[in-house]
Amino acid sequence: MVPTFVGITLIGFLIMRLAPGDPAELRAAGGLGAAAGGGISVEKRGAVDEAMAQWRAQFGLDKSLHVQYAVWMKNLLTLSFGESFKDNQSVWGKIAERLPVTVRLNSWSILVVYLVAIPLGIYSATHPNSFADQVSTLTAFILFAVPLVWAATMALVFICGGDFYYLFPPGGLESLDFSDDWSVWKKIKDHAWHLFLPVVLLSYDGFAGLSRYMRASMLEVLRQDYVQVARAKGLAERVVVYKHVLRNSLIPQVTILASILPGLIGGSIIIETIFSIPGLGQLGYESVLARDYPTVMALFTVSAVLTLIGILVSDILLSVVDPRIVFGRRLQ
Amino acid sequence: MSRNESSPASFESAEFETATVAVESAGGLWSDVWRRFKRNPIALTGFYVVSILAFMALFADFLANDIPYYSVYKGKSYFPIFRSYVVGVKLGRWPAELLNVDFKKLEGAKSIFPPIPYRPSSISLLEPLEPPSAKHWFGTDKLGRDIMAGMIHGSRISLSIGFVAVGIAVVIGIILGAIAGYFGAWVDLVISRVFEIMLSIPTFFLLITVAALLPPSIFLTMAIIGMTSWVGIARFTRNEFLRIRNLDYVTSAIALGVTDRKVMFKHILPNALAPVIVSVVLGIAGAILVESALSFLGIGVPAELVTWGSILHEASGATFAWWLAVFPGAAIFLTVLAYYLVGEGLREVLDPRLRGLR
Amino acid sequence: MSRRIWQPFFALILLFGCGREERAGEQSRPVPQTAATETASTPTTGDWLVMHELSDPEQLNPLTSNDASSSAVLGFIFESLLTRDPRTLELKPLIAEERPEISQDRLIYTFRIRKDVHFQDGQPITGEDLLFSVKAIKCPFVNAPFLRVYFNSLVDAQLLDPYTIRFVTKEPYFLNESVLGGITLLPRHYYDPENLLQRVTVRELTQDPGKLPSEVKNFGDQFNRNYNRNPMGTGPYEFSMWKTGREVELTLDSNYWGNSKAGIDQPHVQRLKFRVVNNPDAALIRLKSGSLDFMEVLQPIQHIRGTSSERFKREFQKYEYFAPTYTYIGWNNDHPIFRDKQVRQAMTYLTDRKQIVKSVLFGLGEVVDSHIYLFRPEYDKSLPSYPFDPQKALALLNEVGWRDTDGDGVLDKVIDGKKIPLRFEIKINSGNAVRKSVALVLLDELKKHGIAASVRELDWTIFLNDVKNHQFDAVVLGWQMSTTEPDAYQVWHSSQAANKGSNAISYKNARVDEILELYRREFDAQKRIQMYKEFQQILHDEQPYTFLYVSKRVSAVHRRFQGVEVFPDGLRPIDWWVPLAQQKYVSTVTAQ
Repeated sequence: MVPTFVGITLIGFLIMRLAPGDPAELRAAGGLGAAAGGGISVEKRGAVDEAMAQWRAQFGLDKSLHVQYAVWMKNLLTLSFGESFKDNQSVWGKIAERLPVTVRLNSWSILVVYLVAIPLGIYSATHPNSFADQVSTLTAFILFAVPLVWAATMALVFICGGDFYYLFPPGGLESLDFSDDWSVWKKIKDHAWHLFLPVVLLSYDGFAGLSRYMRASMLEVLRQDYVQVARAKGLAERVVVYKHVLRNSLIPQVTILASILPGLIGGSIIIETIFSIPGLGQLGYESVLARDYPTVMALFTVSAVLTLIGILVSDILLSVVDPRIVFGRRLQ
Repeated sequence: MSRNESSPASFESAEFETATVAVESAGGLWSDVWRRFKRNPIALTGFYVVSILAFMALFADFLANDIPYYSVYKGKSYFPIFRSYVVGVKLGRWPAELLNVDFKKLEGAKSIFPPIPYRPSSISLLEPLEPPSAKHWFGTDKLGRDIMAGMIHGSRISLSIGFVAVGIAVVIGIILGAIAGYFGAWVDLVISRVFEIMLSIPTFFLLITVAALLPPSIFLTMAIIGMTSWVGIARFTRNEFLRIRNLDYVTSAIALGVTDRKVMFKHILPNALAPVIVSVVLGIAGAILVESALSFLGIGVPAELVTWGSILHEASGATFAWWLAVFPGAAIFLTVLAYYLVGEGLREVLDPRLRGLR
Repeated sequence: MSRRIWQPFFALILLFGCGREERAGEQSRPVPQTAATETASTPTTGDWLVMHELSDPEQLNPLTSNDASSSAVLGFIFESLLTRDPRTLELKPLIAEERPEISQDRLIYTFRIRKDVHFQDGQPITGEDLLFSVKAIKCPFVNAPFLRVYFNSLVDAQLLDPYTIRFVTKEPYFLNESVLGGITLLPRHYYDPENLLQRVTVRELTQDPGKLPSEVKNFGDQFNRNYNRNPMGTGPYEFSMWKTGREVELTLDSNYWGNSKAGIDQPHVQRLKFRVVNNPDAALIRLKSGSLDFMEVLQPIQHIRGTSSERFKREFQKYEYFAPTYTYIGWNNDHPIFRDKQVRQAMTYLTDRKQIVKSVLFGLGEVVDSHIYLFRPEYDKSLPSYPFDPQKALALLNEVGWRDTDGDGVLDKVIDGKKIPLRFEIKINSGNAVRKSVALVLLDELKKHGIAASVRELDWTIFLNDVKNHQFDAVVLGWQMSTTEPDAYQVWHSSQAANKGSNAISYKNARVDEILELYRREFDAQKRIQMYKEFQQILHDEQPYTFLYVSKRVSAVHRRFQGVEVFPDGLRPIDWWVPLAQQKYVSTVTAQ
């Protein structure tokens, strides 16, 4: 656990630091607005070098790399992520504000994927090579191959208002006049309406992967001897499948959870950017561009922690679900 | 859960256990594989698509170019496209009358042009954002550049990114996996930790960080995708090595004193390749998707280069110009799909357990 | 089994997809029949203005914020001593009673402030607050180095009486009045409740930071940390809330001190909402669907294609006006290729600027040949514009020795004994599609004439770094100009070429230096105009930049807003209002 943690933070740190580019410069130029929009303001360019040196000293950027890393780690141990370069806000505050949004988005996505892919996989496995199996396989592949950036842009253009149809809002988490004194039901509806498209877009390519995995896993189990035995004993096919086979083939699906969590931050970057959703992905992207070192480092760290939690959780779940482990313990 | 952005080869199929595959005919393992592969019509289609793309990539200069194959001018005949290659490697020069000339406007010249008589970079400010027409089959972008030419030349980038990225991933993955699986014990422990770290890194985030901060270059992008996606391959390799290492023929080779390196790469590796191959094919598809995501965000691609992803990037700024989105989007989609189908087909052929159910 | 899964999905789509009518209107108000007495010309209070912001403000601290989004918001909350007349751009008093008294030697400025101004919490202002505001700016521990540099020439400030302040500057500079007039008035009781800055003087603050007492450092820390999300000033709009990453809301202060006073802007919109949408295309979609009322910047493509439907024209009014920024190609004057002015002139002849404006900007701009803003009296209209003339360019290049001697399609020349091809790299920053297009167009044209140029796109900060360190052959960049009196010193004086100054192209001309220096001390506007005319003529001949164009901006405003007018500085939402009958939003807090 610990080496993994150190490794990740170190990599994150090194990459941010070794990359060229100076955050002080960015502050001087008035943020990223000048890059995209108009020109640099002539007046602001006046003798600012001294100002930048001052700013760098304030954030400890003028010390050597090892010292900076050590200082950062030390702060970490006291649970302080420091302050963002962009706006002096506490980095943890910014992350805490956005974490629930990303978690919500991704949890729904994971749920949707499992809800769709598992039954699909089961059906494919129990009716292998049938027409339905082949069609669903092909569809899954097609979905898998559609580039996310394309699908998202097309969705935004065609069904989110603008010139064509207005089925869903073009972004954001809640309506403009969202108010805290709405009824719970109204609030839920509003959030669901806003999240529907992002969740679907985030999930569609997972259908393929997981359903194929489920199918393969079930097929593997179906070939095992004890399944033949169960059939020979006269158990109904249905019972065989849903009681014995399913349980055993679900086991590997649990381990996938562990690999999903690190993708939490990266995976939503595109969706959050296109749909203006204030989550961690968007924060990460903006922070990288703004060279907001403390925030980027913090995000790497958070990602590391999430992954380790994921591994832990999936190990626990595994031991709960896997009868060999459970019975093994009982026998002892 | 987004495959599109996560590490290309981290998608793992059901765990592989290839026994050394029994050969059905005398033609050797691979011709046997090919014969069985051919029986799957879907996978075969995928294979043909991949081949067409490869052809397009290789011969892009002959398919879309604004200088002709052959031209007769002032009584002399020339082969401009070939000549451009020659001049490019500094082995020749342009004759004075052909220096920087626009063959289409050259008076008195009779030329045979390639089917798409444009270069992807030829700017024509008078024809911006034109929908598909007889003149420009796929329309033009905001600087009047022909989209079809861009698509054809862009296939080079997309495919090479796929190959190079995965190539790097394969090299790293196989080496690390082999070492871990062969030596076992604490070596395996350390290397497995490294796997864990790599898996825990938010890859797409890392990609963006590096690609956005460093000067854009296709090679850099390829290298980074490769360096973040080798874990799947490494794990397969490791598992295979762990299993095969204990087989009789290996233990006897070691007992006979064959060096470790020879054992690993001459005796074990050839038999451990099956799952790797499938990963490679899927990995190429994944790399193409990642690259399209990066170009879409506008990072990783140098300004002058036209790639499928960069055309898509333009599309987001001109949403009425559907041809900017449809064609590259479709191209990426078809390419990725083709590779997946080939990969699936290969897996079905190489995995002995599934074969039993056909 | 799978079919059963899909059904709920379809149900969900139907359920939520049908919400169109409800959503688009938000909370609409029923039209009252008593609207008859409203005339179109009496401004009515009420309604909300939802404005588009491309990015979230970094922070709402009046001194430390440095980005455009923060400035947009803070401009409604704070006021300063002087302001500019929106039409004539003349300085006019706001918090000050009148323009300052300036001493004979032009070093001392005395301001008298109004006695009837109070802050949004009701507290009346005094000179104390003004003095505090100055100290806060000058305090080296306040995180505002980029604001502080403006005031480097201010060495002392003292209160002569509770409502009069005297500033002492280091050297005469005609823009000092404007700079001092721009000091934002901050409430001391709010921003420095413990009065930590009371004992230190402005003069002490300009000296060694090490010698300052610890309260000053404490003040700096507190100010940087605690005041980023709760601004309070004297302006007509109060800060109401900020949902990070989503929107900032300001409400009209019904007790604004300037209410019904002559010469002070009287705003009417009840609430201002700055809604963040990072993606301009998504923003346009929101504009069309009713979640935004005002988009200040429409992309050229959006203007041409995305906003021409009948429905759009019915609901929105577009305004096209010049934005005071110009784009240019900067040639590194120290580079062996660009040392000759003929080469630079040739480059300008090879750039089809008119076509670029037409095709790349979709006509939203105008070719310029000078560093001065198009509408300023200083701008020299008589300068003949360089046409697009590749033949002339080649002739110029030949004249200074560039020819293709080895038949590889690229011009070359012998410089310092070596044969050098005419090959160079144009650097641009990423994130700007227009500049990229300009570079690519130029590239294409250059290639046709034997010039092998290439483009390199760099991340903004790396790019800026390279520019400052003169690590480039050519760059495409822009300058933001002010619509008020120009001062070209920083960009064109030879002293600014060293030390990472703004004269990144290393332009050195003795006569230009002379003009720029004399200009700063010239307090007679007519004489200044003459000086700058000569300055522009020299630049025109030397072409250290290839000046490209001044951009035009297109904004879209929902038609229900009245009083919308284009001023030299752009649009002024503070003037707008909505007739009662057309008001769309109702505030739950009753307006006056």
